Amino acid sequence: MKFVKPVIFAMLAVVAGVFLILGSRQSASKAPPGFTVVEYWEKWVGPEAAQMQIIVDDFNKTVGRQKKIYVHFMSMTDIDQKTLMATAAGVPPDITGAWDNQIAQFAAIGAVEPMDDLAAAHGITADYYLPVFWNACHYNGHLYALVSTPGTVALIYNKRIFQQCAGQLRAAGLDPDRAPRTIDEFDRYAAVFDSKNPDGQIDRAGFCPVQGWYVPQESFWFGGNLFDPASDRLTLDSPATLHAFQWIQNFSKQLGQQSLMEFQFSLGNFDSPQNPFLVGKLVMQQQGPWMANYIAHLQPSLSEALCPKSEEWKLPDRTANYVWGVAPFPSAVPGQQDVSYNSFDALMIPTGARHKNEAFEFIAYVNRQDVAEKLNTMHSKNLQLRHASEAFLKHHPNPYIAIYQELAASPNAHSVPAIPIWTEVFKELTDAGQAVSVEGVEPLVAVRQAQQRMQAQYDRFHRIETERQRLGIN
Amino acid sequence: MTREQRRNFFKGMAFLTPWLVGFAVFTAIPIGLSFYYSFCDFALTAPRRAPLWIGLDNYRQLIHDALFWKSLGNTLYYAAMALPAGMLVSLGLALILNANVRGQTVYRAIIFLPSLIPAIASAMLWLWMFNARLGLLNYLLGWIGLPGVNWLGEQWAMPSLALMSLWGVGNTVIIYLAGLQDVPRELLEAAEIDGAGPLRRLVSVTLPILTPVIFFNLIMAIIGTFSILTVPYIMTQGGPNNATYFYTFFNYDQAFKFLHMGYASAIAWIQLAITLVLTGTAFWSAKKWVHYG
Repeated sequence: MKFVKPVIFAMLAVVAGVFLILGSRQSASKAPPGFTVVEYWEKWVGPEAAQMQIIVDDFNKTVGRQKKIYVHFMSMTDIDQKTLMATAAGVPPDITGAWDNQIAQFAAIGAVEPMDDLAAAHGITADYYLPVFWNACHYNGHLYALVSTPGTVALIYNKRIFQQCAGQLRAAGLDPDRAPRTIDEFDRYAAVFDSKNPDGQIDRAGFCPVQGWYVPQESFWFGGNLFDPASDRLTLDSPATLHAFQWIQNFSKQLGQQSLMEFQFSLGNFDSPQNPFLVGKLVMQQQGPWMANYIAHLQPSLSEALCPKSEEWKLPDRTANYVWGVAPFPSAVPGQQDVSYNSFDALMIPTGARHKNEAFEFIAYVNRQDVAEKLNTMHSKNLQLRHASEAFLKHHPNPYIAIYQELAASPNAHSVPAIPIWTEVFKELTDAGQAVSVEGVEPLVAVRQAQQRMQAQYDRFHRIETERQRLGIN
Repeated sequence: MTREQRRNFFKGMAFLTPWLVGFAVFTAIPIGLSFYYSFCDFALTAPRRAPLWIGLDNYRQLIHDALFWKSLGNTLYYAAMALPAGMLVSLGLALILNANVRGQTVYRAIIFLPSLIPAIASAMLWLWMFNARLGLLNYLLGWIGLPGVNWLGEQWAMPSLALMSLWGVGNTVIIYLAGLQDVPRELLEAAEIDGAGPLRRLVSVTLPILTPVIFFNLIMAIIGTFSILTVPYIMTQGGPNNATYFYTFFNYDQAFKFLHMGYASAIAWIQLAITLVLTGTAFWSAKKWVHYG
C-alpha cells in the first residue's frame, strides 16, 4: 500500500509532462518539416471562416509550398481582446484579422507593426488600391494594415413592396420603378411605405435609422466628415452632422417614439429569418453587399423571383430575378453623388510577431487580384482594389456588385476616421442617435454634448502622448 | 522546532506552494498592479509602451465622466429593485418548499433548474418572453385585458432585468432550505404549545434563527448585483440610450473596447470601495439583527 501514493504522483507527473511537451506543438502538426508556421487569428466564424480557410489552403498549396511557409488559421471570437492579451504576453499571432476601427487604436498604443516597406516591396501601393481603403489603412503616415474584405454601404430596397405600393407612390409623384435619388425623395418614399395597425403599432416601416448599423456615419450622407485631419479636431457638431441627427429624429416624430421603440424591440436579429427586411417589415435599409449571401441563406425566395439562382445566367438581366434592388444611398447635399461609407476587415501584424516577413507574404497573397476576387466573391463583398475583372462583376453572388464597386471608387467615399478614439466616438454618436430618437433630446444638444465629451477625450489623448514624448516613454 | 515538526512544515509547504504561487501570480500581484495602473496611462502593450504615471488624473477624469455617474446610478437603481426582490422571493420560495407536502423534491428541482441554465441561454429565452409583439408576458397581459408593455424600452428595461434576475434564485433558495433544516423542531413545537400561530412562529422563531443565512445571502447578493454584466450585455447592450448601462459594463468597455486599462483599473478600485462600504454597512448592522447561536 505504501507504493500507492508515489505511483499516483508519478502517473500525474507523466500526464502533465505529456501535455506540456505535446500541447504546444499542436498548431504546427500539419506543417511540413522545415516550413515556417505563420499563426493567423481571424474573427470570422461559420461560413465566412470556412471560406477564408479555403484561401489559406490555396496559399499553403501554392505560394506557401514554394516559399516554405505554412499558414495556420484559427477562427475565434473577441479577436481584438485576444490579440492584445497575446501581444502583451509576448506571444502574439503573426497575423490578426481585426476591424478597420482598430487600426489607429492599435497603432497608437504600439500593438501592431508598420508595413510600409513590406507593402512597397510586394508592389502594393496607392496605385493598386482604392484610395478610400488605402488611406484608412494608414495612421500617422504609416501603413499598419491591409484589407482582407471590404464592405461598401448602399441603399437596399424591396422592389416587390415598391410595386405593391405603386399607386400610392404615383399619387405622391414618385416612381415605383426606381429607388429614391435625393434625401427629400427618400423621405417621401419612406412615408408612403409606413403603415400602422388599428392599435397604433407599426406594421411596416419605410426606413428606421436607429434600427440600422450606421447611425454614427449618417453624417457622411449630409456632407459631414466627423473629423477634420487638417485641424486634427473632431467635427461632431458640424451643421452636416446636426442635419443628419435632425433627419434621424424626424423618423421617430413621424412614427411616434414609443411605437418606433416597440417596433425596434420586436424585430428579429440581422442574421435570423426574422430580419425585418427579409420579412417585409422594413422596406429600405443601408447595408453592405454581403446581404446577398444572407438573403440567399435565410430567405432564398427573394433572390429567385423568376427562376432558381443557379439558372439566372440564362436571363438577359439577372437582376430581374431579385425581389430586392440596390442603389446609392441618396445624399442630402445637392449635386453630391455616390456618397458611401466603406468599412472593411483588416489584416495586421501584431508587435512582436515572430515571422513578420512570412506573415506579409500571406497578406500580400490575400490582396492579389485573383485571390481578392475569389475571397470577396465567396463573402459577397466588393473589392478593395482599383480594378475589378469582368468575371468578378458577372459571377458575383450580388448582382448589383458594380454599384458597390463604383461607390467605393467615388470621390465621396468615406471610411472610419483614422483616430485612436474612434470606438469611443462611435459609442457616443450611437448614444446620441438613441437620445434624439428615443428620448426626444434636441439634436443640437445631443451633437454638442458628443463633440464636447469626445473632443475632451481626444485632447486628453494628445496631452498624454505629449507627456510620453517629453519623457521618452513610448 | 523539532526535526519532526520541521519535516512536517516543509511537507505542508510543498503541498501549499502550488496554491501560493497560483494565488500570487494570478490574484495578489494583478490586484497590486491594477492599483498601480489606476494612477497610470496604460494600454496593455508594455514593455513596448510602458505605463505612464499620471497621478490622480484617472480618478479626476472619472468625477467628470457622465457615463460613470450614469452607470453607477443604473447599478444602484437595479440593486434597489433586484436585491430586496431576490431576497424576498427566494426566502418565500424556500419557506414554501420547506412545507412537508407530496412531491416536495419535484418542486425543489423545478425551482432550482433555471439556475443551471447558462446565462446566455436564459438571456435569449427572456428576449423572446419580453418581445413587445410576440412575447409571452404581453400575451398574458392581453389575456387579462391589460395593454402590452415595451419591456426592453427605456422606461421598462431596468425593471425587466430585475424581474428576470428572479429566474435564477434557485441557488439562494437551496441555501435557505439548508438553513431551514437547522431550525430546531422542539422550538417550533414549544412555540406552538404556547399558542403561537404559523405567522408568529415564522417571525419569532424561524426568521431569527435563519438570520445568519439571510446575512450571508445579502452579502452575496450585494456583490452579485454590483458585478452584473452578462445578461444586459446580451439582451440590451446597455441600451436603449444607456438605460441599462451598468457599472461593470462601463468598466468592460473602458478596458477592452477603448483600451484604457489605467482608467478601467481606477473604475474597478472605486467599485471595490463601494462594495466594501456596502458590505461593511451590512456587517455593522448585522450586530443588531443577526443572531448567532
